[in-house]
Amino acid sequence: MEIISTLFIAKAVFIVAVFAVTLGVAAYSTYFERKVAAFMQDRVGPDRAGPFGILQPLADAVKMFMKEDFIPTNSNKWLFIAGPCLSMLTALMTSAVVPFGDKLEIGGGATIDLQGIDVNIGILWVFGIVSLGVYGILIGGWASNNKYSLIGAIRAASQNISYELAMGMSIIAILMLSGSLSTKTIVEAQQNGHWNILYQPLGFLIFLVCAFAECNRTPFDLPECETELIGGYHTEYSSMKLGFYLFAEYINMFISGAVMATLYFGGYDYLGNSWVAEHWGENVATLIGVGALIGKALFFVFVFMWVRWTLPRFRYDQLMNLGWTILIPLAMFNVVLTGFSIISGWLMIVSWVGVALLLVAIIVYDSVTYKKKKVAVN
Amino acid sequence: MQFWYFLTALTLLSALMVVLSKNPIHSVLYLVFTFFCISGHYVLLNAQFLMAVNIIVYAGAIMVLFLFVIMMLDLRRNMPDSKSNLTKLAGAILGGTLLVILVAVMRKTQFPQFSQMGGKFDTQTGMVENLGQVLFRDYLLPFELVSILFFVAMVGAVMLGKREAGERNF
Amino acid sequence: MNSIIALSLFGIANLFLGFLNNRKILLPATLAFVLVALGLNLADWNQEYLWFNNMLRTNNLSVNFASVILVATFLVVAVSRGFGDDEEHTHPAEYYAIMLFSVVGAIMMVTFENLIMLFVGLEILSVSMYILTGTDKRNLRSNEAALKYFLMGAFATGILLFGIALIYGATGSFNIHGIEALVLTAAGGSAPALLYIGIVMVIIGLLFKVSAAPFHFWTPDVYEGAPAIFTAFMSTVVKTAGFAALFRLLGGAFTGVYGTWIYILYFLTMLTLIIGNITAVYQQSFKRMLAYSSISHAGYLMLTATAKVAHTQSSILFYSLAYSVATISAFAVLMVVAETKESNAEKTNENFDIFNGLAKNNPLLAFVLTVSMLSLAGIPLTAGFWGKFFIFSDAFQRGIVVPLVVAVLMSAVGIYYYFKAIISAYFKEGDVPAIELKPIYKITLIVTTLLTIVLGIAPDLVKSIF
Repeated sequence: MEIISTLFIAKAVFIVAVFAVTLGVAAYSTYFERKVAAFMQDRVGPDRAGPFGILQPLADAVKMFMKEDFIPTNSNKWLFIAGPCLSMLTALMTSAVVPFGDKLEIGGGATIDLQGIDVNIGILWVFGIVSLGVYGILIGGWASNNKYSLIGAIRAASQNISYELAMGMSIIAILMLSGSLSTKTIVEAQQNGHWNILYQPLGFLIFLVCAFAECNRTPFDLPECETELIGGYHTEYSSMKLGFYLFAEYINMFISGAVMATLYFGGYDYLGNSWVAEHWGENVATLIGVGALIGKALFFVFVFMWVRWTLPRFRYDQLMNLGWTILIPLAMFNVVLTGFSIISGWLMIVSWVGVALLLVAIIVYDSVTYKKKKVAVN
Repeated sequence: MQFWYFLTALTLLSALMVVLSKNPIHSVLYLVFTFFCISGHYVLLNAQFLMAVNIIVYAGAIMVLFLFVIMMLDLRRNMPDSKSNLTKLAGAILGGTLLVILVAVMRKTQFPQFSQMGGKFDTQTGMVENLGQVLFRDYLLPFELVSILFFVAMVGAVMLGKREAGERNF
Repeated sequence: MNSIIALSLFGIANLFLGFLNNRKILLPATLAFVLVALGLNLADWNQEYLWFNNMLRTNNLSVNFASVILVATFLVVAVSRGFGDDEEHTHPAEYYAIMLFSVVGAIMMVTFENLIMLFVGLEILSVSMYILTGTDKRNLRSNEAALKYFLMGAFATGILLFGIALIYGATGSFNIHGIEALVLTAAGGSAPALLYIGIVMVIIGLLFKVSAAPFHFWTPDVYEGAPAIFTAFMSTVVKTAGFAALFRLLGGAFTGVYGTWIYILYFLTMLTLIIGNITAVYQQSFKRMLAYSSISHAGYLMLTATAKVAHTQSSILFYSLAYSVATISAFAVLMVVAETKESNAEKTNENFDIFNGLAKNNPLLAFVLTVSMLSLAGIPLTAGFWGKFFIFSDAFQRGIVVPLVVAVLMSAVGIYYYFKAIISAYFKEGDVPAIELKPIYKITLIVTTLLTIVLGIAPDLVKSIF
């Protein structure tokens, strides 16, 4: 009984810690985003609040809370409030199955898994919650009773559904490699440098693109495309409700970075972890592992920002074309390729050679059709 | 057990609200909530995989499309109550009769007790590995033939939805 | 079983043939596919197999039913004429592919051993039919029919599925022989009440698919709205498969609790016969009349499907064959004659009066129409007569008096409306120009007519096989 209650408290502390880290990272992502943007555009960025502007997120939060909380007259009040709440909820729920670290000894012989819960369908949980993420946007956009909001919401819905398919199929290849749906097992199969990215280059690329689309980040941020839709689904939102929407986006970025690290980059695995475990103790190794996972996730957050300030936004038909006619066939090809590589037993060689062959085939096909077109013009 | 009662009450309530709400958007949202409650029941039955798939497929994909279409059509404006009182009465009588029969049947049925079924409980029942074994070993043929069903539906949807020559979109 | 696999692959092959942009190749290819499937099906003759963990059972009964279905499909494909030359608005590759897939579903419905297979087969067949009903996209009636069929069909499938779930709850088995054994042991009164309501729900779901009253309301609209060729397909293949499934359940799995459903079925049989025949009398549209006639034929088939005596299955098979052949010739004549008339939103070109004066310039078509009508009405020297005869003698032997009397009376009513078409063709003034028929079309019409007459003169040719 004693051990169980200790475990319970430890787990509760851990979950609170995960939330705190997630929210903290999300808050500082806003600062980070502006700094990265400034760096890329050769500016200084926020530098007034605190040294290097480090207190900027706090100032932003205060500003958000102080603003007038405005609800449009003809909106559907309850759904209007429910929208941002749902967005926030679904953004935070995903972190339940991300394994942040290996076991941690907490004294008295008890160990605690640094993971919210290890269910044997972990990756499906992530997938399910991600697919629910669109409800917050859809409901908020509809309840605003504003055409721009509605169009933004509808764009978000169709975009999310389209990219979920390719995302799911790229996950299938991972499942084929690890033989399990549990995130913990997937990470454990990648220990000591056998990261899935080595066997799944194409799958990772597809997953990354889909993650951009699912988070509604540039170049897929059509739901909030300013030039066409004013503010998209959050046109009518102000104050902390708007803050929730923006916050949810950053949380999603962090969590999807953590999921990518889990699926493709070995999770909490890092170079020399067995040496650390041997010389400095298991707990230190685990804690460094947690740091490694968060570091990887933060790297992906940086990639999100990097892409945002590098690539322009897609047009809507380009977005749909990319999803349905390029990513889904590629994901299917990836599943077949993974099957071949597993059967042949030469996992890494077959997968990279397969991708190379695909590239060659595409280039050859393109050059042939290009010539044909030229002839047709003449 | 208490939790089961709570969840069941919630399921029935939200399912009722699907039918009773005037606003179709609310109906859809209640339906999504109903799916969540049903997923909860799956968890109680130790069927985690079904829970996740139920959420992904129904709540995550189908209901989003539902909501999508209803929002696009904006059904609030043109909803004339086309059913006559006679139809409503007939429907009520039929549905009520079926309800009474089903309730009576449920009351009459004696469900086997846990001890009568051997008193053993396999914690792995309903786990995704076992489900896969059943699906790809015992039920392989229906599993494969369902793909014909989906294929037919897909071909039909493309065929019916494709724009014909001389037809305008919107 | 092999025919199921073959047909699935052929359907996909058919879709690929569509890429060739050659409409001429599709018709012969599809006919060949159906023939191959028929050959594979007949290869199972006199062998009894269980497939894939008791999912399917092939025996002579299932081979016979599948053969009737495949023959009907062959005839329908043969009179489809490649769906014309309208390249813009018809997609023959898809139509043929969906037809082949739907036959997969139909064969699953006659060979099923597990209720899940019944459900999947029924769904494949139904979904294909919903799509084929709506293929005439520019026609409002077709759109309406497809939507109506889809909504009502989905509801009926729901009821069927609920019934299957309740039966599973009561017996713990999806296997129909397992259910049969459990039902027999439970028949002494210890059966869970769930079983009875489950059985009734499954029967209702199937009766909807074969359009028995009072679940027939979709039939006239759907039959009228769908393109005639698919109506022919629907009224033959779906009906045969539906009755095969119903017969296998009633005659096998559910026999033990006979008393639960037999009186319901007697009552519904009489209702179906009366509604189908009496309403058919008042129809102006030939196609709608055929829809009600199909309801009434469902009534005759229900009369014999209600119980298992030694030759019930051969009666059902013979009746299905006779009905299918006659219906396909009737629809084939309707299709070519309707093309000579104008059609618009207010007035369809499928009324009885389009046949006025048909015999003057088109003696062959008029003769084919006459023979098919006589066969549907059950006049001696046609296959339809013997079909009705076998069914009535079955019912008489089992002593089902009241439904039998109703059936005999109603078949007398039937003669009236079937003769309306013959009277228009021969005795009314009209101007049907001489219609040029393609050779394959002509041959099919002659074959169906000959089959009807030969079976009418010597029914034992086929009856002894069944």
